[in-house]
Amino acid sequence: MTKPAESSNGLSGRTAIAGVGETDYVRGSDESILQMTLGASMAAITDAGLTPKDIDGILPPPGFVAWDELAAHLGITNVRYTATPQMGGASPTAALVTAAMAIASGVAETILVPIGWNGYSAIRPRPDARPNKRRFTAAFFETVRNFYAPYGLRSAPWWYSLYLQRYVDLFDVPPEAAGAVAVACRAHARLNARALMRDKPLTMDGYLASPLITGPLRKLDCCVETDCAAAVVVTGTDRAKDLPHTPVVYLGGAEGHSSPADELTNRPDALRIGLHAAAPRAFEMAGVTATDMDFLQIYDCFTYVVLLQLEALGLAEPGGAADFVKGGAIELGGRYPLNTHGGLMSQGHCWGMNHIVEATRQLRHEAGAAQVPDCELGLVTGYGDLGDGSIAILARGDA
Amino acid sequence: MSGGKVIPKPDDLNLELFQAMVRTGRMCLQRCDNCGGHSHPPRYYCGRCFSPDYGFVPISGAGAVYSYTVSRSTAEPAWKDEVPYLTVVVELDEGPRIVGAATGHDPDGVTIGQRVTVIPEKRTEDFAYLTVVFDDGEDER
Repeated sequence: MTKPAESSNGLSGRTAIAGVGETDYVRGSDESILQMTLGASMAAITDAGLTPKDIDGILPPPGFVAWDELAAHLGITNVRYTATPQMGGASPTAALVTAAMAIASGVAETILVPIGWNGYSAIRPRPDARPNKRRFTAAFFETVRNFYAPYGLRSAPWWYSLYLQRYVDLFDVPPEAAGAVAVACRAHARLNARALMRDKPLTMDGYLASPLITGPLRKLDCCVETDCAAAVVVTGTDRAKDLPHTPVVYLGGAEGHSSPADELTNRPDALRIGLHAAAPRAFEMAGVTATDMDFLQIYDCFTYVVLLQLEALGLAEPGGAADFVKGGAIELGGRYPLNTHGGLMSQGHCWGMNHIVEATRQLRHEAGAAQVPDCELGLVTGYGDLGDGSIAILARGDA
Repeated sequence: MSGGKVIPKPDDLNLELFQAMVRTGRMCLQRCDNCGGHSHPPRYYCGRCFSPDYGFVPISGAGAVYSYTVSRSTAEPAWKDEVPYLTVVVELDEGPRIVGAATGHDPDGVTIGQRVTVIPEKRTEDFAYLTVVFDDGEDER
């Protein structure tokens, strides 16, 4: 495996992902959020060769499900540590830092990181659906209610457009740059039996024909609403070596935030997102650079947010992501295959936990038709709320 | 008219801000009593000098377009008849940025840096709706 670097915080290389699990990605599930999350969690525990009695930490996402009901339903009786990151879609990847700290310090040994939601059915429930009381909430909703929603800006595409249009105007970003992300994600989803959009090919012409929702976002710049759940199990790297799968070692990671985090128009530079702050710390901790990566699993709620993150990672200058994504560079076979499972854009929106699951499968060399040959090193990012960022740098460990 | 549109029921500092606008009929911002800096949204401690002492003061509403979006589709029935509609992030001359509606302006005729004025319109005792008027004089009022 890639040798862990001398790390300033002592966490690099100490933990590994030992198990992954996920549901199918569907529009309209027969299962509740709790059932889906339990199913993905049990699948991850089983994949790790463990049982619920081996789990002693739970790091659930904000909203939807809480650690205590997960523990009670799964039969996890020895909970020693719980915590919940409060950063929307950046939460699952940020939780890996917390897991590493808890395990490296001896507070816990083996930690479950789950997520599940009904991103489709919450908005468009079946006529016969059981009532769902589970909702996500966040502090920034107060900003939205008072300062965005009165002007017809009530959900994520409308909020993010408030700064993405500036990105497009300042750097003359062509729609084809965002289209390259949409097309790559769709091409990869076509290889994934679990991807919601696997049967729907997409060309650049098809992308460009997609209607504008709110500038600069077209319909096909937006990820797909999905009902799904996914989970990973993290444990000490030494322990992971005794478990069934090749460990996927956590080399480095970090979270980062723009200020103010609860309002996106009053930051000194509205185009500076949390990942700009997080990425340098994560690479330093891991002792690698962005150009060492064999693949990129980038949080893709919106295509333009992927472009900004490529720049935040240092892979392109400000405004330079449009050139970076040209010519198939982010497709399988290119230098930086991106979202090899189809991403939120085309597999489904599982808050980025599906990115961690896919990175793990890639580094185990179990990614099937989407396998990046002989990959050793890759990264996952998270993006959430109004621009919180997180990153995890993962390596193939010794079996 | 605002039929069906979101009219918030603000609390805490946001309520104080909107009530200042309703009371004065003018655009207002929070200002630090200690260093004189303006903040938006309002905060309990000044982000520059950390003072807890503040007031809400009338301003001209003058500023420039920092960013914007033109909505050509909406999930909100109340806005369906208004597409395409222009929403602007205004960088006020005092520094803070604020979001407002520019429904009177040509949605395809906006560029970053254009001079604009933010005008509050009372909707309730506790909320004023912010309209952005372009200084080029071409808006339909």
